[in-house]
Amino acid sequence: MTLAHERATEFLEGSRRQQRTIVTPEGVPVTVELADHGERLTAFTIDVFIWFLLTILVYLPLVFFALRGGSALIAVSIVLFIGFVVRNLYFIHFELAWRGATPGKRFVGLRVIDRRGGPLLPSAIVARNLTREVEAFIPLGLLLTWSGTHPDWEHLFIAIWLLFFAALPFVNRDRMRGGDLIGGTMVIALPKRALSGDLVERAAQYVFTEPQLRAYGAFELQVLEELLRRPKSVETGRLFTEVRDKICHKIGWTAPVPPEDTELFLREFYTAQRAFLEREQLFGKPRADKYGGAQPRT
Amino acid sequence: MSTILATDTPIPPAKIAGRPELVLKSSEFRKGREASWRDLEALIDRVERRGARALSLDELQRLPILYRAALSSLSVARTIALDRNLLLYLENLALRAFLCVYGPRVDARAGIAAFFARDLPAAVRAARWHFLIAAVCIIVGVAAGFLLAVQDESWVSTLVPSSLAGGRGPSSTRADLYNKEIFAPWPGFAESFGVFANMLFSHNTAVGLLSFGLGLAAGVPSVMLMVYQGLVLGAFLALHYNRDLTVDFLGWLSIHGVTELTAIALFAAAGLVIAEKLLFPGRYSRIESLALYGRQAGYTAVGAVLMLFVAAFLEGGCRQLVASTPGRFAIGFASAVLWFAYFRYAGRNADDARP
Repeated sequence: MTLAHERATEFLEGSRRQQRTIVTPEGVPVTVELADHGERLTAFTIDVFIWFLLTILVYLPLVFFALRGGSALIAVSIVLFIGFVVRNLYFIHFELAWRGATPGKRFVGLRVIDRRGGPLLPSAIVARNLTREVEAFIPLGLLLTWSGTHPDWEHLFIAIWLLFFAALPFVNRDRMRGGDLIGGTMVIALPKRALSGDLVERAAQYVFTEPQLRAYGAFELQVLEELLRRPKSVETGRLFTEVRDKICHKIGWTAPVPPEDTELFLREFYTAQRAFLEREQLFGKPRADKYGGAQPRT
Repeated sequence: MSTILATDTPIPPAKIAGRPELVLKSSEFRKGREASWRDLEALIDRVERRGARALSLDELQRLPILYRAALSSLSVARTIALDRNLLLYLENLALRAFLCVYGPRVDARAGIAAFFARDLPAAVRAARWHFLIAAVCIIVGVAAGFLLAVQDESWVSTLVPSSLAGGRGPSSTRADLYNKEIFAPWPGFAESFGVFANMLFSHNTAVGLLSFGLGLAAGVPSVMLMVYQGLVLGAFLALHYNRDLTVDFLGWLSIHGVTELTAIALFAAAGLVIAEKLLFPGRYSRIESLALYGRQAGYTAVGAVLMLFVAAFLEGGCRQLVASTPGRFAIGFASAVLWFAYFRYAGRNADDARP
């Protein structure tokens, strides 16, 4: 298994996202990254904002044309009703039509998926969104329309209730809120990743021996890969020189490397190192890092 | 990305005669398949932006083939390649393709038809014992409320919140109740549908969804809510009983109450299904058990919301139009028969046909 690239990600990006594995119906495990609490809150806030605008948009023509001269009570009750219908249709419609993403989720880059890797069923979407009413909208509505000045038991209860549901995603492993529990879903982050060119050099100007290549493992190789993929700048040039010197020292490379060939040297070393490590891995002797362990140290 | 791609343009290698060329298996592997990955990526991009309809028939047929090819590429790459960028890309590509290929089916018309013809009655039948418990809770509440308030009418104002009482209480006279409540004149279209039906719908849905969602709190709040609904009803019943209006009140209630109370009890039944799976998960883990049965409970709750629509329509619109007690009883009875027949018999063949 290539756990090395995950470790390299952790090293390079500071922290690693919580990961889960789902098994596709074809039997291939695929890694998914759980969405952060902050991302989900952002997505939800965007959705609520859009919902608010939509409700007003539906409501205004109704009031101006259909119910001219109605009482304020009519206006309030209709806006409540439209709000209810719009927000439920909004979430369910978009999660169905956009394969588990509402506009807010899409903006943040989140998706709803089935927790066990099966297809995302409409019933799961309906279940996870109906509960949204209980988790957020009803208690929020009650709190917002609260006109009293001093706290009473009822509002203490509502506050506890909001806290209970708000705390749910923090107390389970998969960061599920109530609706996810009932629907059997979870929310993942799904950034698009691009495929960059292959760094492999064809012609070998520098030739490395096996003991020299044995100095490093997959982890170091992938950190080097990241460095080589960086956009060129003065800073990277300085880093290249620094890394070249370190490698030369470590593997005991004594032949001179001209400064203008620094990148070429690194790329060739990368190529030779990758060829060596991939061959070793195929033969059942994976090298996770320079300490030579088969599995990465944690 | 363009900046990163820019650094990847290979530096023209200074070919030196006599040196062996390095051939990496992973590199060759990538060269052979990269075109199909790019093809798949372009298809997914379009599906993600504009939906599956953006693809032609030919492309739709290609999508699952390319998806399986990408999955197999991922499996191979995991064993032979150490190119981090490639591995991350393939993981991401396979996952995005998976979500495209196994996304929810969005044939709205067929989905809705199946919901009414099969899924909803089946979900309700599966929750029949839970429904019975919820109904018993309501009945217990009604009995308690009635017994309390029939002795001492001050209980009415204690049990019934003023927003629901609408001016009715111990001080109401028989004539008040008869003329202003049971046989009140129809207030007109805007008032009855715009305000009354709406308010009822909002209030009932809030109560119902509460008893559904709070099933997650082991169902205790669901049961309490049912008893409380019963208490309110029982108190009202006592109020009318003491003024010798029992039959008229029951008629006034039955026209919408059958639908409304069934819906409320269904919400609670859905909540109790969740509570049961949480407390007694059986063969599965709690989380799995919840996911398995929660969706069905969700269906029940959606059905109950729709029933509340019907109830609000009957209550806000039709109740004051049908100003005779036998007529009201007739509608109430008819609705009871219809709901029972629907939930008991609809889609049963489909039930049997399923494994």
